[in-house]
Amino acid sequence: MIRQGPILSIERLSKSYPTGFWRKPVRVLSDLSCEVHANEIVGFLGPNGAGKTTTIKILNRLAFPDAGKVTLFGGQVRDGADVRRRIGFMPEQPYFYEYLTGGEFLRLCGQLCGMSRADTESRSSELLSRVGLSGARDTAIRKYSKGMMQRLGLAQALLHDPELVILDEPMSGLDPMGRMEVRGIIRDLKAAGKTVFFSSHILSDVEALCDRVIMLHKGRKVAEGRVEELIGAETLYIELVVSPVLPADRLAAAGIPPDAGYAQGALLVLRAADNGQANRWIAGLLREGGTVLSCVPVKKGLEEIFMERVGGSDSTGATS
Amino acid sequence: MLRRIFSIAANTFRETIRNKILYAILAFALFVIGMTFFLADLSVGDFARIIADVGLASIHIFGVIMAVFLGITLVSNEVERKTIYILLSKPVRRFEFIFGKTLGLSVTLLLTTLAMATVLFLVHFSYRYGGRAEVGIFIASAGIYMELVLLTCLASLFSTFTTPVLSAIFTLSLFLVGHLTKYLYVLGDQSKVEAVRWASRFIFYLLPNLENFNWKNEVAYGGLKSFSILGWAAGYLVAYAACVLCLSCLLFARKDFK
Repeated sequence: MIRQGPILSIERLSKSYPTGFWRKPVRVLSDLSCEVHANEIVGFLGPNGAGKTTTIKILNRLAFPDAGKVTLFGGQVRDGADVRRRIGFMPEQPYFYEYLTGGEFLRLCGQLCGMSRADTESRSSELLSRVGLSGARDTAIRKYSKGMMQRLGLAQALLHDPELVILDEPMSGLDPMGRMEVRGIIRDLKAAGKTVFFSSHILSDVEALCDRVIMLHKGRKVAEGRVEELIGAETLYIELVVSPVLPADRLAAAGIPPDAGYAQGALLVLRAADNGQANRWIAGLLREGGTVLSCVPVKKGLEEIFMERVGGSDSTGATS
Repeated sequence: MLRRIFSIAANTFRETIRNKILYAILAFALFVIGMTFFLADLSVGDFARIIADVGLASIHIFGVIMAVFLGITLVSNEVERKTIYILLSKPVRRFEFIFGKTLGLSVTLLLTTLAMATVLFLVHFSYRYGGRAEVGIFIASAGIYMELVLLTCLASLFSTFTTPVLSAIFTLSLFLVGHLTKYLYVLGDQSKVEAVRWASRFIFYLLPNLENFNWKNEVAYGGLKSFSILGWAAGYLVAYAACVLCLSCLLFARKDFK
């Protein structure tokens, strides 16, 4: 299969921000390079202060790099209106004109994107319904909750049916139901042939959604790859669930050390280091009258990979 | 391009006319203009002239307060509230944003100036001792409005790179200096040093000459004869405002939003 060129290409991007007249500028991005291909969902991961939002601002012309190049759809990012029409963007914790209603705000966005009034109205209705805000169309934005603002932010990003959707922390401020809905919308976008590039520090969301991830720490890329490649074949341990909870002497007789697991109600959960040890323990457990209910190899998750790459203790925001 | 500028202008207009502080200033201005009806009775001389004189001065002062108050926050509010992130991520060029914001505020100022001028006209017309339909009130108000537009452009220029407080100080300083530049020219011309004469002329042409829009005295003393002066002043406004807006756009074009 011939793969198309990237629709987003970042080459050796660096950015510093001045911190005062006399003080040294703080470098927030160093030599970042990565690519996003059509119809991918790419997660941009990193703790707070890693440089995710700065990168996204550069992609949206809200900041300018000190060095490096961003190419969108084969043209430079500054190419302007034509390129911008193909991109939808939702900033982190989006803010809107509070004196407008949700419907009026989307109408303004439609006008800025060059959409006809009829198109704007029909897309607004469709999207407000999709994000669960159809009842709040005529409500002033100042009365919206944080979650509603987040949903409206998503609606305005998708209003002009962009090919590339850039979302900065789209799950932030949402309740579990809202997060699930946003995950559904992102999956629908991929199914419709769109490309999604989103930043997050909620690793479980990224792991569940993304084709590829790019990990950032202190402005530098620390890992990039397909989720299954990063997670890889490496098994952390093999988890055995046994019933009933055997006493210590029978576990010892089965060749299982006392600190190999823990009791969880009427079940005993054991962690074997590898397949060989798991096989030996299973044989011993069966011999001692136990029943092995399950035997599951537990692989590394993105969280473990992330903590490994950023050194664990000095990351501040990587959670869940 | 024009559609985007008009959309931003319409939104800015909507934002400013919903500003409660603007209404407070406007209400106070209308009250003061209305009070000139009674003030004239307390003074000696040409009563109707007092009404025109004090009324136009009120329109001028309150107009400047509105222009500076709204102008200095024109860009900075959008940056502080991060609403600019959404606008500039759309197919909107940064100069379109600046033009749209300035246009929107100019429309708001047009309505407020028109409201104040109309009230003054009615007060002047209805005054029982020598009141008459003085069209000059609208001509002088048009001059004040043009000055307000220029101040708005200057305030928006400052708001692209500094804080609202500093923007207000810079704009008000230029407002004061702008009414005194002719003295700078005259004083410079009296110097025997050629360099001083050239420097004073350079500064005279560089700074806004707001006296070009000032016809208050002509109206009060009945010397304003023709609408043609509006044309020359409008030409000066367009040329000067274009330069200021171009400078704003240049400064804003490479601004980073942290």
